[in-house]
Amino acid sequence: MSQSLAVRAAANSLANASGTAVTRVREVLDTLATRDINGDVLTAIRYFPARNAQFAAFPAWVHPALVAAYNAKGIRQSYTHQAAATEAVHAGKNIVVVTPTASGKTLCYNLPVLHEILERPDTRALYLFPTKALAQDQLAELYDLNQRLDNCFGVFTYDGDTPADARRAIREKGHVVLTNPDMLHTGILPHHTRWTRLFENLRYIVIDELHTYRGVFGSHLCNVLRRLRRIANFYGREPQFICCSATIANPGELAARLLEKDVDVLSENGAPAGEKTFVFYNPPVVNRALGIRRSYVNETSRVAQEFLKRDLQTLVFANSRLQTEILLTYLQQANPQAPGKQETIRGYRGGYLPNERREIERGLRDGRIRGVVSTSALELGIDVGSLDTVVMAGYPGSIAATWQRAGRAGRRSGSSCAVMVASSSPLDQFMVRNPDYFFGNTPEHAFIQPDNLEILVNHLKCAAFELPIAPGEHFGEVDIPDLCARLAEAGYLHLAGDHYHWTHEAYPADTISLRAISSDNFIIIDITGAPNVIGEVDFPSALIFLHEKAIYIHGGQQYHVEHLDFKERKAYVKQVDVDYYTDAVRYTQVRILEASATSSSSSGLANLHSHGDVLVRSQVIGFKKIKFFTNENIGDGKLELPENEMHTTSYWITLERPLLESLPYSVSERQSGMFGMLHALASVATLLLMCDGRDLGTAIGERPPQPDLETSVIGAENSAPLAPAADDFTPTRLSDVSRSNLKEFFEPNLYLFDAYPGGIGFSEPLFRSHDLLIHKTRELIAACACEQGCPSCVGPAGDLVPRTKEAALAILDRLCG
Amino acid sequence: MASSPDKFSRLAALRPARPAPSRPAALRAPNEEDSLARLIGAGVAKNHFGEHLALRNWFSSPEFCEPSGVALELLSRGRDESLTRRTRAALEDTARWLFLDTETTGLAGGTGTYPFLVGIAWWDGGGLQVEQFFMRDFSEEHSVLHELAARLAERPVLVTFNGKSFDWPLLENRFTMTRAISAPRLAAHLDLLHPARALWKLRLGSVRLVELERHVLDAPRLGWHREDDVASSLIPQYYFDYLRGGSSAPLAGVVRHNQMDLRGLAALFGKINTLLASQDEDRDGVDSLDLFGLSRFLERRGDSDRAQAACTQALDFGLPAEFRQRARRELALLAKRRGDHHAAAALWGELVSDPQDGVLACEQLAIHYERRAKDSVRAEEFARLGLAKLQRTRANSRDPYAAARIARLSEKFLFRINRLAARKRTAKAGIRRLSL
Repeated sequence: MSQSLAVRAAANSLANASGTAVTRVREVLDTLATRDINGDVLTAIRYFPARNAQFAAFPAWVHPALVAAYNAKGIRQSYTHQAAATEAVHAGKNIVVVTPTASGKTLCYNLPVLHEILERPDTRALYLFPTKALAQDQLAELYDLNQRLDNCFGVFTYDGDTPADARRAIREKGHVVLTNPDMLHTGILPHHTRWTRLFENLRYIVIDELHTYRGVFGSHLCNVLRRLRRIANFYGREPQFICCSATIANPGELAARLLEKDVDVLSENGAPAGEKTFVFYNPPVVNRALGIRRSYVNETSRVAQEFLKRDLQTLVFANSRLQTEILLTYLQQANPQAPGKQETIRGYRGGYLPNERREIERGLRDGRIRGVVSTSALELGIDVGSLDTVVMAGYPGSIAATWQRAGRAGRRSGSSCAVMVASSSPLDQFMVRNPDYFFGNTPEHAFIQPDNLEILVNHLKCAAFELPIAPGEHFGEVDIPDLCARLAEAGYLHLAGDHYHWTHEAYPADTISLRAISSDNFIIIDITGAPNVIGEVDFPSALIFLHEKAIYIHGGQQYHVEHLDFKERKAYVKQVDVDYYTDAVRYTQVRILEASATSSSSSGLANLHSHGDVLVRSQVIGFKKIKFFTNENIGDGKLELPENEMHTTSYWITLERPLLESLPYSVSERQSGMFGMLHALASVATLLLMCDGRDLGTAIGERPPQPDLETSVIGAENSAPLAPAADDFTPTRLSDVSRSNLKEFFEPNLYLFDAYPGGIGFSEPLFRSHDLLIHKTRELIAACACEQGCPSCVGPAGDLVPRTKEAALAILDRLCG
Repeated sequence: MASSPDKFSRLAALRPARPAPSRPAALRAPNEEDSLARLIGAGVAKNHFGEHLALRNWFSSPEFCEPSGVALELLSRGRDESLTRRTRAALEDTARWLFLDTETTGLAGGTGTYPFLVGIAWWDGGGLQVEQFFMRDFSEEHSVLHELAARLAERPVLVTFNGKSFDWPLLENRFTMTRAISAPRLAAHLDLLHPARALWKLRLGSVRLVELERHVLDAPRLGWHREDDVASSLIPQYYFDYLRGGSSAPLAGVVRHNQMDLRGLAALFGKINTLLASQDEDRDGVDSLDLFGLSRFLERRGDSDRAQAACTQALDFGLPAEFRQRARRELALLAKRRGDHHAAAALWGELVSDPQDGVLACEQLAIHYERRAKDSVRAEEFARLGLAKLQRTRANSRDPYAAARIARLSEKFLFRINRLAARKRTAKAGIRRLSL
């Protein structure tokens, strides 16, 4: 009842506003409300009124030509945060500006940088964007300003696409060089002598979308910045940093960690915003006993269709490529292409070629395209104009990302609506049932671990290549002389005088990718007719999406993978029209290398928890065929693909024999209970860490008989770098993989590991909050309304043996004491 | 971060990329420290930046070669830039020339690649004076660069083999890295790699200096031989081994290798000079393929008249079958550019049955008959023949790019055929009207 009140309240507030879009959004909300018989579908409808702009005049010292240029663009005064940022930069401070999407962040750095260039034409600035597309976007903005300033400065993008003959001019004449961390790492720093002009005059470094530099990417960037500062110092400069970030919990901390300098945080926002309605949608329950809800993918498509039907321009976010393509298929079927017209519903994701993406962005801006289904690729600040509505298929994994995606609707004025359709994963269910947690909490923390030895050593090599390492040099919080001595022993460095010089023929930056384990790509070739390259995917994804017999979906068209040429990194596909898709089955092994700390629980039956270094091996071992719409499993196959291996850090719980003996369940029930418990444990861990679900991998394995001895360990759960989407384990896998190990008293380790090579610092905090983790997990399972277990607590009931939920609870009871 | 030794040993980043032994098998004994200097006959040179090893050798071969004006013009002229008077004057004064070749710690370039041996040479007393600077450790780099800068100030015309894209940018990097010695300004830079490639790539396939010595420069009469020469690919490793206390013997080989490369470079200049300056009548002993290469080089540098002469001569001397048609095509294109359409048409006529250039020949002939000879019947014949040839190739081709090109060309032919056919119809209609 209270829910329908909320609907009415929201509807009333909308009714007060006028405008056709508002009416249409209201119609949709009404339609959705009629389906909400029990009041548990629309769990939150929050209305955010429009915000007025708060203006401040441009600071008096700004160069008059620049003020005139902005005036000519129609910008007569700045928002308060823009003025504050400009003043802080002028005062020589390193700053990070934290405001939502579309609040005019670019002015915060363009204004002070261009002012300085106008005052002192030697000034140089380097802009870093996480993607090439964002740099292209900013280039257009700077071109426009430059034209109004009689082209008095040089502005260029410098990335992999820059033609070789243009590069020399950019190095000499670029006052503002727009690039990305990868290009800085492989293309600029190792050749800094060609960039003397830039480095000798480098005043500013601008880092946009700072919040994207978290985890492994952030740890790499921090090291790249260490190298950048080293080179700048070599040319006698100490550049100032201007950063922009979306809202996260710790922007100041992240910036300080990345830049290793004091940073001022500017978070007061003076930009206007249109009114917005935010809706949480929990798909209706169809089987209460099994806790089965309607498929959230189908429900997302239904909600999006309601908006599209009313001609509201809609952006649908999915959490994986596969879901993107499935949703695209559904929505294109519902909105058939008019004869002779272009498709109005399009897909957008990493595997599409750049030209196709640019065309879609244009189509969105000019309104020709009415709906787009996208992965997180459209989350960042690419300019696609203002959309009416955003529908998210599943919780994006973090509060920050959810706001970022919701921000794509209604960028500056007018009314907009965002709907989050929850999946049945525990995290989604937690969020959708506790909306106050979402709306009342700060977004996540961004963690980096720049002193991760694997990452640091790689960058130390690059640093030595760029400039011999001097005695007493600092590079992170590690013992540099010791590391250099070890690198010298391995033949990479040589001590001459008191400097370490690079002594290897190889070029170190080439083999180090900032983003992934490997920089390998597979290209996809359609051989239905004349061979035609339709896209590319990175190495880990290729194993999942392009294995032989997989159905690869691209642009809504299904392709059957005929042959995967591993050596040549090519996949040959043929167009097909079938009613199923495929889902890869992965298998993960964990081996403990070294336990950093082990502690026995203070309460309950004896059990151990530890953290330390592990080796994780994962492999795609087969696939399932799943029917569209009904999601029935209609067959499977085995695959032989190479293993992926990484060193990382992990937290684990060991369940000992006395505890297991005290459980009144059969072996299979007990084991199923462990998997169920781990399922819930991982969800709670992501909440506690305020990290993304994809940052943690899980596995179960037998405890090594003696500490530090190698044992084979089995587990079958989602291993994150391979699986963007949460992937539930199935009985097939349980029986295939685990039956052989169903010993009477198999003493298992339950692993939660960092899903990045080298680890990014989650294991230790998890180890410290062990008790809280166990208690919260128990609460989550105990509070779930299902009978036998459901995807929202211990996993889907259909995949589990009976009494799984009971067994999981019993284990947790004993752990809690 | 735990820092136990195990942790380090597990680090993939620390593992050597190649299982090559990082520590050389045999270490130099202390009394061997100066053995390299003795082995190569070098002395320790000192300047205010420090010291390094330096040695000088005079060689009677190759002999001094007076550069011809024509050759210099061709070698130093880019595609369309002409020489400034000052560059010209610098080039003509061979006393200001400096041949240069470096041995480096790798081929990757960038700021972490060091030229540990810098070899320079100049004409002197009818032969070649070779001077080499060797850094016994990285700390000696500054004094080597200082010495090089002094030599280049005296002789600012650089002659190299691939120096434009490798040696010189690398040295410029090194000068920048010192922050103390500015990179010398060059008056001119002749890189012989590009002319050598144009002239001999057809015949030799590879134009490495060693190959050129063997097949172009008449190796037995050069005055040196490369029988026990070191392999270029091993040079960085020899130096790294030496740095870590390994044997200096292989480096003596590297120093000799560098000397031979410099002498080869000077000899190569002589050869190129002769060929570029030669008139038709002095080319009797020249290989026909080299003449064809010469014609392509001349044509690229904008000297079409001499290009045509050299090409005709190459055909007269007798080219291997696979190059004969290519030479005819070049001649036809040259004739067309000259405006000699009749000569061009005759040459295209010989090419119609060629499997490679047949289609191009048909197209050119169709154009010729339509536009110049105004013979639309023959024009249509050739257009149809070209189209038939294309369709035959399409049937045999699997390459998607080729398929696209064929489709594009086919369309052009069809367009031409339709136009010619339409013209024929209107002409016929006109005749019919007249007869009525």
